[in-house]
Amino acid sequence: MDRAIAAAGLGDVLSARRAGAISDDHLARLRAADLLALGALADRVRTEEVGAEVRVYTGGGGDVDARLVAFPRAGEDLTGLELLREIAVARVAGHRGARIRVDWTISGLELAQVALAFGANELAGRIATKRGLAIAEGELAGVGKKSRLESARVVKQRELAGLVERAGRVPVFVHQDLGAAVPDAIRQEAP
Amino acid sequence: MTLDAIREKLHARERLSFEDGVTLFRHPDVVAVGQLANEVREGLHGDRTYFNRNMRIEVTNVCVASCLFCSFAKLEEGAPDAHTMKLQEAWSELEARLEDPPAEIHIVNGLHPGLPFSYYEELLAGFKRIKPDVHMKCFTAVEIHFFATHYGMTYLEVLQRLRRAGLDSLPGGGAEIFHPEVRSRIAHDKATADEYLEVHRVAHGIGMKTNATMLYGHIETFEHRVDHLIRLRTLQDETGGLQAFIPLAFHPDGNAMRNLLAPTAVDALRTVAVSRLLLHNVPHVKAYWVSMTPEVAQIALRFGADDLDGTIVHETIYRAAGSRSPSGLTVDHLVRLIQEAGRVPVERDTFYSVVREYPRAALPESAVKVRDRKANKHLEVLS
Repeated sequence: MDRAIAAAGLGDVLSARRAGAISDDHLARLRAADLLALGALADRVRTEEVGAEVRVYTGGGGDVDARLVAFPRAGEDLTGLELLREIAVARVAGHRGARIRVDWTISGLELAQVALAFGANELAGRIATKRGLAIAEGELAGVGKKSRLESARVVKQRELAGLVERAGRVPVFVHQDLGAAVPDAIRQEAP
Repeated sequence: MTLDAIREKLHARERLSFEDGVTLFRHPDVVAVGQLANEVREGLHGDRTYFNRNMRIEVTNVCVASCLFCSFAKLEEGAPDAHTMKLQEAWSELEARLEDPPAEIHIVNGLHPGLPFSYYEELLAGFKRIKPDVHMKCFTAVEIHFFATHYGMTYLEVLQRLRRAGLDSLPGGGAEIFHPEVRSRIAHDKATADEYLEVHRVAHGIGMKTNATMLYGHIETFEHRVDHLIRLRTLQDETGGLQAFIPLAFHPDGNAMRNLLAPTAVDALRTVAVSRLLLHNVPHVKAYWVSMTPEVAQIALRFGADDLDGTIVHETIYRAAGSRSPSGLTVDHLVRLIQEAGRVPVERDTFYSVVREYPRAALPESAVKVRDRKANKHLEVLS
């Protein structure tokens, strides 16, 4: 991996990142870099600084601190490729150990999953209805109408857990009422 | 085998092994795998990215096969939602679009036991009468095998008769997964892998180009996928007749495997990338936007794909299986998707001759904007 980063001419940027010395020149080169080389660098930095865990906020918001960078940002209208680039640049040039979050209700689940390979380490989005659930219909067969919302949440959380795991990462659902990460029952049920 | 070792093999122009393929599928870093595929893609095609003006028609969904992944087929005429077009109905689809005609008509059908062979011959001939230069890319190898067994002909006889009627090339559908451990479970009553490959071999033997596919993301393993790709690579070594490979993502809605999860975007990108790396001898790898959504297909143009397929207008098989992609895209939107990816759009014919090369995006990639992506409103749906 480091060899691929070096081959793309970004080896010194990785060294600078490790030393906490990203300069304007580094930033300019990041912005001009090949997207996948940039993604490889961002993923390396993510691995070193925040590990494989992906926090998943299903209440739509979640706790906020100075290290949090949420995408897509208000007022921006980015293409999928631009979003991946911005996330990767934020990972490499931002705070050490930054929390880089993607709102999957805006970006779509597909892009949110891909973003995990470009430096993101949090997903957020409110599960409010069963609409848009790719696997909900079969799962919900036989479930009474009043119970459907709860069941949809269960199904959606399982789907999110699967997305994260199939991106090679470890999902941790965050119970936002408590403001702390706790293992979710769904996580334990996931295959 | 490490990724570095695989990179060295690629740089030395050595073909990748079965084990290399499995390593690439299992490698935790999908971006690194994508980088390798992108190198190969750019080595073959630079920034050129292809699409065409095509049109999909499914003249019948009546099918004697009972594939577990299919949400399209109906077992018999008269079943709810079963349909078989009258010939004039099918031809009218083209007649209705003669102001902005497709360059290619792509026809894929169910295996209908009650139609005479002449129906298919007349179907082709009728389209050619309406537009003599339209390219007819019709009937999967599975259909050709069905025609041969059902009407008592050899593959060669079927292909020659259809060719005389107007057939120009074969699409790649029906490949699914070749390995018998999977094929016997999901598609036990249609052409086997060997029969699928033999139809393509015979077609190539008479100078007919074909495509090939792989339906991934259901019950198969990575080993099954690699086995599939290597069988195609071996055929291509022998005949050189494959033009493009199209990985098709399984969609679970409305079929017998609906309890499975659909493959994710990361799996789609990885499969495109590994296909590009293993199939070094197949010129083109498509990111079929109907199967993977236009947004993920656009990203796939950086993971080894060099073709977005075409305008399609209008696809029904994936939509029956729950695809949320639109049923057609305009040329303008295909061009914009490619330009936004930093590539050069090239409108092609079926044989990849250049019809028109478009400029790169006038603005840098980061400055090109589209509107309201969430609702896909920037995609002008044609039907």
